[in-house]
Amino acid sequence: MLEDSIQELVSSSLARIASAASGEELEAVRVAVLGRKDGALTQFMKQLGKLPPEEKRQAGIALNTAKQKLEEALEARQKHLAGADLQARLEAEWLDLTLPAPGPRRGHLHPITQIQRELEELFLSLGFAVLDGPEVETEYHNFDALNIPPEHPARDMQDTFWLDGGNLLRTHTSPVQVRGMEKLGPPLRMIAPGRVFRNESIDASHEHTFYQLEGMMVDREVSVAHLLYFMKTLLAAIFKREVTVRLRPGYFPFVEPGFELDIRCLICNGSGCPVCKQSGWVELLPCGLVNPNVLRMSGIDPEEWNGFAFGLGLTRLVMMRYGIDDIRLLQGGDLRFLEQF
Amino acid sequence: LKFSYQWIREFVGDLDCAPGALEHLITMKTAECEGIEVTGRLLDRACAARVESAEPIAGTHLWKTVVDGGRYGRRTVVCGAPNCRTGLITAYVPIGKKVIHGVESDGMLASAAELEINRDHSAILELDLQVGAPIPGCAPDSIIEIDNKSITHRPDLWGHHGMSREVAAILERPLRDPVKLDLLPPGAGSVRVQIEDFGLCPRYSALVLDNVAIKPSPLWLQYRLTAIGLNPINNIVDMTNYIMAELAQPMHAFDADLLQGDTIFVRPAKHGERLRALNGEEYTLDPSNLVIADGGGAIALAGVIGGLGSAISDNTRRVVLESANFLASTVRKTSVAVKLRTDASMRFEKAQDPANTVRGLARAIELLQELSPGARVIGGVADMRREAPPPVPIQLPLDWLQRKLGRGVDAAEVRGLLERLQFDVTPGTPGVFSVAVPSWRATKEIAIKDDLVEEVGRMLGYDSIRPTAPFVPASAPPQNPRRTFENQVRALFADFGFTEVYNYSFLSEEAVRVFGFDPDEHVRITNPIASDQVLLRRSLVPGIWKNINENLKHREHFGIFEIGLEIHKQGAGLPDEIPHLAAAIYSRNGDGEAGLFETKRAAECLMPGAQVCPAAARIFEHPVRAADLLWKGERVGRLFELQPSLLESGRAAMLDVDLSTVRKLAGVERKYVPIRRYPSSAFDLSVIGRLREHAGKLQDLIAQNAGPLLESIEFLRQYSGPPLEPHQKSLSFRVTVSSPERTLSSEEVGEIRSRIIAGMREQGYTLRI
Repeated sequence: MLEDSIQELVSSSLARIASAASGEELEAVRVAVLGRKDGALTQFMKQLGKLPPEEKRQAGIALNTAKQKLEEALEARQKHLAGADLQARLEAEWLDLTLPAPGPRRGHLHPITQIQRELEELFLSLGFAVLDGPEVETEYHNFDALNIPPEHPARDMQDTFWLDGGNLLRTHTSPVQVRGMEKLGPPLRMIAPGRVFRNESIDASHEHTFYQLEGMMVDREVSVAHLLYFMKTLLAAIFKREVTVRLRPGYFPFVEPGFELDIRCLICNGSGCPVCKQSGWVELLPCGLVNPNVLRMSGIDPEEWNGFAFGLGLTRLVMMRYGIDDIRLLQGGDLRFLEQF
Repeated sequence: LKFSYQWIREFVGDLDCAPGALEHLITMKTAECEGIEVTGRLLDRACAARVESAEPIAGTHLWKTVVDGGRYGRRTVVCGAPNCRTGLITAYVPIGKKVIHGVESDGMLASAAELEINRDHSAILELDLQVGAPIPGCAPDSIIEIDNKSITHRPDLWGHHGMSREVAAILERPLRDPVKLDLLPPGAGSVRVQIEDFGLCPRYSALVLDNVAIKPSPLWLQYRLTAIGLNPINNIVDMTNYIMAELAQPMHAFDADLLQGDTIFVRPAKHGERLRALNGEEYTLDPSNLVIADGGGAIALAGVIGGLGSAISDNTRRVVLESANFLASTVRKTSVAVKLRTDASMRFEKAQDPANTVRGLARAIELLQELSPGARVIGGVADMRREAPPPVPIQLPLDWLQRKLGRGVDAAEVRGLLERLQFDVTPGTPGVFSVAVPSWRATKEIAIKDDLVEEVGRMLGYDSIRPTAPFVPASAPPQNPRRTFENQVRALFADFGFTEVYNYSFLSEEAVRVFGFDPDEHVRITNPIASDQVLLRRSLVPGIWKNINENLKHREHFGIFEIGLEIHKQGAGLPDEIPHLAAAIYSRNGDGEAGLFETKRAAECLMPGAQVCPAAARIFEHPVRAADLLWKGERVGRLFELQPSLLESGRAAMLDVDLSTVRKLAGVERKYVPIRRYPSSAFDLSVIGRLREHAGKLQDLIAQNAGPLLESIEFLRQYSGPPLEPHQKSLSFRVTVSSPERTLSSEEVGEIRSRIIAGMREQGYTLRI
């Protein structure tokens, strides 16, 4: 009898729980059924005492089962409703992630900076120090100490900006060789990337301001074979592939013997194309064994020490790497150019 | 410098190497070739032809001719040359069949210019040849162009014979010498030569010629000169040029009848001495210029150019032929001073061989027999020189040579190739060659054993050397903290949205004045070629300003920066070169405030804790938006808005920082401070101040009054408007205090707060509590 009523309450309550659409409604059901004072089930509990022991026991079991069942149903419904609630709240937070992020865009490093850093890191890993020298140089460091005395016709190779006071704007990074030898002494391995100046009119392929990277190694035994080894290693790292190189005679007063180093054209692999002017080779860098006069002038005994030196046209390398056809862009400050790097 | 393949072939026996292959060999072993051009392409088809008839074509200046073209038979040719006439023997070339004014013209009658013999377009050739004969000595030729820079050190390569010596050595072929020294007449010269300083003129040789007839050179000679870029003038002048191009010995011919006295002086010019030169220019000289002079004064600028007053003319009968040697540096100095580079000066400045002077004269005697038959040499060679000791042979240790090259060498091979280059090799002590240098390489170039490394290396071929890693101790290279730091700064500014620019180191005077700088405080370029490269920059700001004005046409908002050197003039020695960072944010819209704070934020990231101290504005700064930047007590730069009138539109915030100082200050080592174990307490304060009150100053005052327990002060907000007076604003700060030893009681915190308030009130500030 009582059990029937309990069953009835349970099924009607379960239906109300299932249809409760919000936390509040659910709470109302809970209070109506399980509320400590007036809950329907609580009322049944209160009637238990009046029953004979046998019935009392059975009704008790039925009541506990019913209570447990309803509590579980309430909890499940509660969880369900909370989840739906959150879902609805988050649903309202739709966001267009394709909108641009606020704040400044990242800026761009100059292409010469980028290539220069790449080369600096490469040479550091090969044990070369990275040195600096002044842009305004003495005639001695720029010319005389490099075996180019006054009236030497080789001074014609480099149109020079002369300054009041008799100094000059360095025409190459080679004076840093001299400063490096003076500062470090032998043995040494160094590079010197930097800005150099030539007094000439500018056009798409000529600049009065450009960048070079000078390199030098001085040690007890340094040969043409070692120079070739370092050049191949360097160029393979720069071009990220094996390169074939060749040396041919070239004249630079601060080296003896002096070379022009060519690489097999990377565009046509040597079969001939407009880039290499059909020769299969591209002239890349001058180099050579350090002239003993240069060592001697920097206080290094050429009977004891030998060296090689090379000069890489950094600006030219940057132009090759990115296919830049007008050298003036590099110092033109035009963001439409700079933002491409 | 241009070299004729045919000319080289005269000296190199059995030359079977085609011009292209020869060019490659020269490039790989001797000097850089810049290309080959074929000249005289028509010459192998040209032949002498007689004009059988010539009738004018009505209404034109043209002639319809019928010519006997030898092997080409009879041809009708239309010709426009003024000297076209019946009976003329000229050159016929079977090209260009076309109808001209109704006449079918088959081939052409050629001028010397059309055949590339000389540059004369005015008339067709007049030949003294059998009909059908080719023009003697004129055939298509390949001209190899050598990069002058690559033979700066090789005086001998400035002539065909020297280049032929290289080719013969490379190809292991015999070399023919065009000079017959036994043609030199014995006896004393019939002109006296007086050299004041043998240091400046080691040798002067001269011949006197009589009965010379001035006329055009034979066509073969004109063709040779034209092919290598020289202008044929007359037989005597062409002869001197020919010998120069052949033997690298510049020569000069004076009209002997125009000289005063019987002595040629070689001396420094007198102060203000004048010379009108062959080019028509008058030069005013000084004692740094060496001149050739007669009794009346300068007649030539030694090694550079001859004088007009004694030039060869059609009337010349007697000639003084000069073949001299001058000190390279003096010729160069004069050539630079008078701004005149000639074929002679280019050769002399490379240090020519004194032994070559009489060789040139001997060659002249031989050539004269063809160029001016009947000319006679009067007397012997006038030859003044200082006897120089023969150069000391170079000791070449073969093991040293191997170490330099990085490959093994075979003694016999080394000896053979040196001898082919005409070095004299004698084995001395075992393993060492004693190498005597030929005179034409000894003037300057080859003096030490290292020079021989090049000779051996290039002749063996550098491709025979295998790249080899050196055995050297592994060691970490010395650091370059400056570069490392500058690279960090670059990365930081790029991350903050600034794009890196590279500007020139030059400024114009006008640009400097715009910024109120004194042009005289700048290092000045003494030989600028443009007005915008007169001064060296002592600020990066003008460059950035220019970048802004150029980019604002394309962009509404952008940030740029540069890291470069400011060059500061010093009394003596080298200027100071100070690395600076200049950065800017430009906005077309807005009042400039946002950009200034964005720039400030980047500066604070570079220099955490840097102070901005408002300061008087300079002429290029916004009058009330300029401040010094201080970091750790030192002035490191400037934060300002660019004077808006300097921009076409918009606003630009700028930062200018001395990176050498910043790097010095950034280098302080850090030490760990224990994390505070006791909780901090915070309270807010609002200070009422004037509208232009600086928050930074209030913050400093609060800090001064807060005492040692202050942890931090944070600016919260500022406010102006009711209920404040119109000239007032309120600034709110959050003050955080704590102790490393205990939790502060509310009484202690209150005490600090009261102390601050009292202190601020003493300074005249009201606090909203």
